[in-house]
Amino acid sequence: MSDLSVIGTSVRRPDVPGKVTGQARYAGDLALPGMLHAKIKRSTIAHANIRRIDFSKALKLPGVKAVLTHENVPRVRHYGSPHPRSASVTCDQYILDRKVRYWGEGVAAVAAESEEIAEEALDLIDVEYEPLAAAFTVEQALAPGAPVIHERPDNLVVDPVLVERGDIGRGFAEADVVIEGTYELGRPTPAYMEPNVCLFQWDAEGRLTAWISTQTPFMVRGILAEVLGLPLSKVRVLVDHMGGGFGAKQDLFQTEFLCALLARETGRPVRLEYTRKETFLGGRSRHPGGVWLKQGFKRDGRITARQARVTLNSGAYGSHAPGVTSVGTWALTSLYRCDNVHLEGRAVYTNTPIAGAYRGYGCVQTYYALDCQMDEAAEKLGIDRADLRLINAVREGDISPSGHPIVGHGLEDCIRRGAQEIGWPRPKAPAHGSIRRGWGMGCEMHGSSAYPGIKEQGNATVRMNEDGTVQLFTGTTGLGTGAHTALAQVVAEEIGVRFDDVSVVHGDTDVVPWDIGAFASHTTYMGGRAAQMAAAEVRKQLLERAADALEAAPGDLEIRQGMISVKGSDRRISVRDAISPTKGVPSAHIIASATYHPTKSYSFAAHFVEVQVDTETGQIDVLQVVPVHEVGRVIHPVAAEGQIEGGIQQGIGHTLTEDYVIDLKDGRSLNAGFVDYKMPLSLDMPTIRTILLETAPDPGGPFGAKGVGEDPIIAIGPAIANAVYDAIGVRFRHYPITPEHVVSALKSGKR
Amino acid sequence: MKTIVLTINGERRELAVQGYRTLLDTLRNEAGLTGTKKGCDVGDCGACTVILDGKPVCSCLVLAVEADGARVQTIEGLGQNGRLHALQENFIQHGGAQCGFCTPGMIMMAKALLDANPHPTEEEIRFAIAGNICRCTGYTKIIEAIQASAKT
Repeated sequence: MSDLSVIGTSVRRPDVPGKVTGQARYAGDLALPGMLHAKIKRSTIAHANIRRIDFSKALKLPGVKAVLTHENVPRVRHYGSPHPRSASVTCDQYILDRKVRYWGEGVAAVAAESEEIAEEALDLIDVEYEPLAAAFTVEQALAPGAPVIHERPDNLVVDPVLVERGDIGRGFAEADVVIEGTYELGRPTPAYMEPNVCLFQWDAEGRLTAWISTQTPFMVRGILAEVLGLPLSKVRVLVDHMGGGFGAKQDLFQTEFLCALLARETGRPVRLEYTRKETFLGGRSRHPGGVWLKQGFKRDGRITARQARVTLNSGAYGSHAPGVTSVGTWALTSLYRCDNVHLEGRAVYTNTPIAGAYRGYGCVQTYYALDCQMDEAAEKLGIDRADLRLINAVREGDISPSGHPIVGHGLEDCIRRGAQEIGWPRPKAPAHGSIRRGWGMGCEMHGSSAYPGIKEQGNATVRMNEDGTVQLFTGTTGLGTGAHTALAQVVAEEIGVRFDDVSVVHGDTDVVPWDIGAFASHTTYMGGRAAQMAAAEVRKQLLERAADALEAAPGDLEIRQGMISVKGSDRRISVRDAISPTKGVPSAHIIASATYHPTKSYSFAAHFVEVQVDTETGQIDVLQVVPVHEVGRVIHPVAAEGQIEGGIQQGIGHTLTEDYVIDLKDGRSLNAGFVDYKMPLSLDMPTIRTILLETAPDPGGPFGAKGVGEDPIIAIGPAIANAVYDAIGVRFRHYPITPEHVVSALKSGKR
Repeated sequence: MKTIVLTINGERRELAVQGYRTLLDTLRNEAGLTGTKKGCDVGDCGACTVILDGKPVCSCLVLAVEADGARVQTIEGLGQNGRLHALQENFIQHGGAQCGFCTPGMIMMAKALLDANPHPTEEEIRFAIAGNICRCTGYTKIIEAIQASAKT
């Protein structure tokens, strides 16, 4: 692999010039002639039946063109998250329902000549509620006699996840040390910078076109078609650039159906853009909840038993709760080896905003518990924290959560390399006044692609033009990660042309091959491998043509930088001349498609973190982070580092400041905005020295590459909590860890 | 409606606006310059940063009528004669943009910084962009891109 020329170089990303000049078009930048503007009226009560809803006054407001309520929209029960016919989602939503299940849920929608008129009309819609008792926490929702949110026993979104391996009774009996604890999880939200936005238009033949900021255009197409009763051929979803999603923009948010219906009713294009506040109210958060975890250890550090109960708060609808609960619970079978496990995972409906998919997908929650507890165990056992992890680290041949054997020794490699890099174990820094410093570490592993939880596949079509340039048709979405650049690099490398000769066609469900969407570290791994396969076929056809021209066997040819030559000779022909031989002769039509049915691969990481804690103010500052990631093969170093640095930023936020707070009295959102929902800013971010390893390339990924998007947000959390313990000797078993928690813990002398 | 005059990226524009219309919406919807982004519309995120009479502002916090007669620089006016500005080039080279939604505001804020302070320290850069939220990059590569631009 040492002769790779495009893979492993930070080529100029073709999507970025448009972004730095303002030319890149996002869904919110589009306008159509005659376009109307839609707004959603949101409930002011957390749990209620709608007794009466009167919009006659709103309709009379000049400029208002249509109003929708539960009384005049189709009553179709549908998936909130667009994976129809997949076990990982629930079918529990209506476009608009007779009942509201959380404070802020949409109850009506207006289309008007301007956003201002639509907003004014919302106030003229009169809703009379019949209040119902509400449950905001999982404890409340699981209690006997709890309010019934959906018609589900115990308010469980789905039946509990149960994982049993070996015999935990025996495992705990063999243990020399048993540790247990409950770890409480806050409610961070993705807070992508581009608020949700969509624009819908019907044509005269009854075809629906949607411009939308979504990670999953084909899933949006599928669910829109299903709910609106249309064939897939009559729904077209377009996504060019989008301003982040981080998992949450896999769902449908009521807006899509409402805009489609408003556009149909008015015969005009309809645009809807969330306000920032609505991205909280009508968006998706990470699942809050708790993890109870108990583990047994031998004196030598080996884990003998692991028992856990994972309880996640899904909010008012199921969304991704089944998938997140399953992935997060199953994740506890791995990372650190253990033969005897008993794991339960539950997702519970409450009357709070909806939790959904978010980068790290369940593993953020459960690995926080697991990796904090590893530090607790290390202290009790008197074993170095890194050594305890190395003793138990999963390795080559171990069975991963997906049931596939682990390839290589990625986790051990990450731990060793990071420890070497920072000189672990670090001596205790002396205290300065009220300042204490400490180091911590955390580990993680995450699968590339959602297979086998979701039956997904990678698809690609590659076409060579008559001038030798190449176009990749991919259904993957340009979330901002640079994945399309990586795919083009894969194609260029595989065929042997220059990177600049490959362009990527994407973002139009009428044109590109089907793809499940940009999530689950899927794009480079699955879409990339499919692109590689299609490119290999194009290369094969091209070489067959060139072989004739060069009077050589195809197997004796090689392609470099767009030039085809006979190995070991000076006979050569350009790709362009091979495909378009002489004037007047039609060029060859070289096009190939490929479908990739995956195996499963896992990426690994170890994060080493130094923090500073002010014992007077409780302020925690992250001073430096050394993340070590084993990714199989680095395709674009700058983009890979960028993924990691951004994931760490979100992880620092989750662990220290970010918590979307719901008032436990009435379910009201208390901090739905960027002033009160505090994310790390440039001044809060530490130096990050990213180390990328290629020690365990995966045979399933393109050139050995695995996913990198999900990973960086997972290990940083426990690393910070462990560093805080190292600094001040207080063990926090929750996130976010705020200054108030630090000060009150130090005051109460809790250790 | 009131007619205002703005000099946008050196070009004189007469625009009819409602009294309540923000400069941000005016640029995006009336002047057709959608490079400036709306991330929050309440001055919290910095995505709508433009340079107004030499000073960086959140254009969502300025009413269009307040800007009557002013000079406005937006991301669309940054390059000259088809060539990218050093900041734009360095954001590409250093990976300073991922999803790109904060990028126009971030670059305009960086331009205002470099116009006032051609050789800022890292701390001065971090302070200057503290009101521009980026959710993708962790700021590391944005700061690198601004540092590289300061050198040129």
